[in-house]
Amino acid sequence: MNSPLESTALFHLGPVAVTAGVVVTWVIMAILTLGAIAATRRLSLTPGRLQSVLELVVDVVDSQIRDTMRAEPGPFRAFIGTLFLFILVANWSSLVPGVEPPTAHVETDAALALLVFFAIIYFGIQAGGVRGYLATFAAPNAIMIPLNLVESLTRTFSLIVRLFGNVMSGVFVIGIVMSLAGLLVPIPLIALDLLTGAVQAYIFATLAMVFIAGTAGEAGGEAASPTERTSP
Amino acid sequence: MTINWWTLGLQAVNVLILIWLLSRFFWRPISAIIDQRRTAAATLLSDAQAARTQAADALADIERVRAGFAQERADILKAAQEAAEQARATLLAQAEADAEAVRAAARDTLDQERQAAARTWRDHAGRLAVDIAGKLLAGMDGTGMGDAFLTRLVGEISALPPDARAQAANGAALTACTATALPTAERERYRQRIVEALGRPATIDFTVDPALLAGLELRGPHLAITNSWRADLARILQEISHDDRP
Repeated sequence: MNSPLESTALFHLGPVAVTAGVVVTWVIMAILTLGAIAATRRLSLTPGRLQSVLELVVDVVDSQIRDTMRAEPGPFRAFIGTLFLFILVANWSSLVPGVEPPTAHVETDAALALLVFFAIIYFGIQAGGVRGYLATFAAPNAIMIPLNLVESLTRTFSLIVRLFGNVMSGVFVIGIVMSLAGLLVPIPLIALDLLTGAVQAYIFATLAMVFIAGTAGEAGGEAASPTERTSP
Repeated sequence: MTINWWTLGLQAVNVLILIWLLSRFFWRPISAIIDQRRTAAATLLSDAQAARTQAADALADIERVRAGFAQERADILKAAQEAAEQARATLLAQAEADAEAVRAAARDTLDQERQAAARTWRDHAGRLAVDIAGKLLAGMDGTGMGDAFLTRLVGEISALPPDARAQAANGAALTACTATALPTAERERYRQRIVEALGRPATIDFTVDPALLAGLELRGPHLAITNSWRADLARILQEISHDDRP
């Protein structure tokens, strides 16, 4: 069994080492994209079973965005929804024998958290401009600037650690149990890992929404912030 | 534990690409179809509401028209009833007037016919009376009756004004007409009595006219005294006729 803390390069594209996580990510991307293309090819006003399920997914994401961010879901839907779907599928990819989920490697989690970090900045500037966004660091007063700067970094880091720790630990435990107890014993743990993967995807997407909404709300100068400023 | 920065960068790019791809092929089409359905549902609801409002308006219009129909029907019935009553009264009055006119015309016709019949029967009766009188006179004594007519003629002459008597007997020839021929002695007696009544001498000739039935009439250029049954019967008939006329 390979250590989940190490990424093994499958091949190299020039100086770039392509790891197994990257390849699995590409496969997930292909599956999601092709599946989306196939599923949305024949949309109609009277939906079939598959279209109803897809619309349910979109509707749930929209309602979560509305409830959490107190904003119209249009600008955030693709980012938040894709994060959730990708993390969920990536977490559950561990069900395929011989496949390690990309989220069990810290580079993928760091990439996701980095995207959230830049999304916070993007939506913050979009809501209140550069001045408005920078002013959020001085809230409630200038003394809080260092703490807010540290917070913006630490909450991103917390995203990395939370997702990486949960997924990696699940894979690690299941790997150890499988190596010790054979075929059937790890099944409950696999089920638990599925639940953990779904919960972590939900938590990651929800925290991303909370961070973006908090920053965008403060930058936009809303009197009542849509969400409490959440510490990581 | 080491971080492969190339992998980190690749994964970031991968996720960004995936965000774009899913946005292009999943989120946007699904949300678009949801919005489209919502819009269609809203349009349908709006149309249904509009149709409902329109139907309610149409129903109200129908109710108004129906109420108008009922009112109009009542008015028409009332007007028709009044017109029928008026026409009935007019027809009754007209019928009564016509019936009265017919009755009056019938009465007039009956009266005229009755009067005509009465005249006819009266004429017949008069002629029958004359015939009967003539037949009766034919068997009667002419002397006594002739004296009676002579006496009445003398009375008539005496009743004339003196100037009229004088003018009548002033040299003119007078004619005494009888129904039957008189004997000579009787003629002389009659002439004497007439002259005495005239109060001066006069020339009197005697003629016979059976149409007189009975009597003695005196005629002259300035005198005409009718004194016969023919004249009496004619007068009586005339009087009867005058009495019968309305």
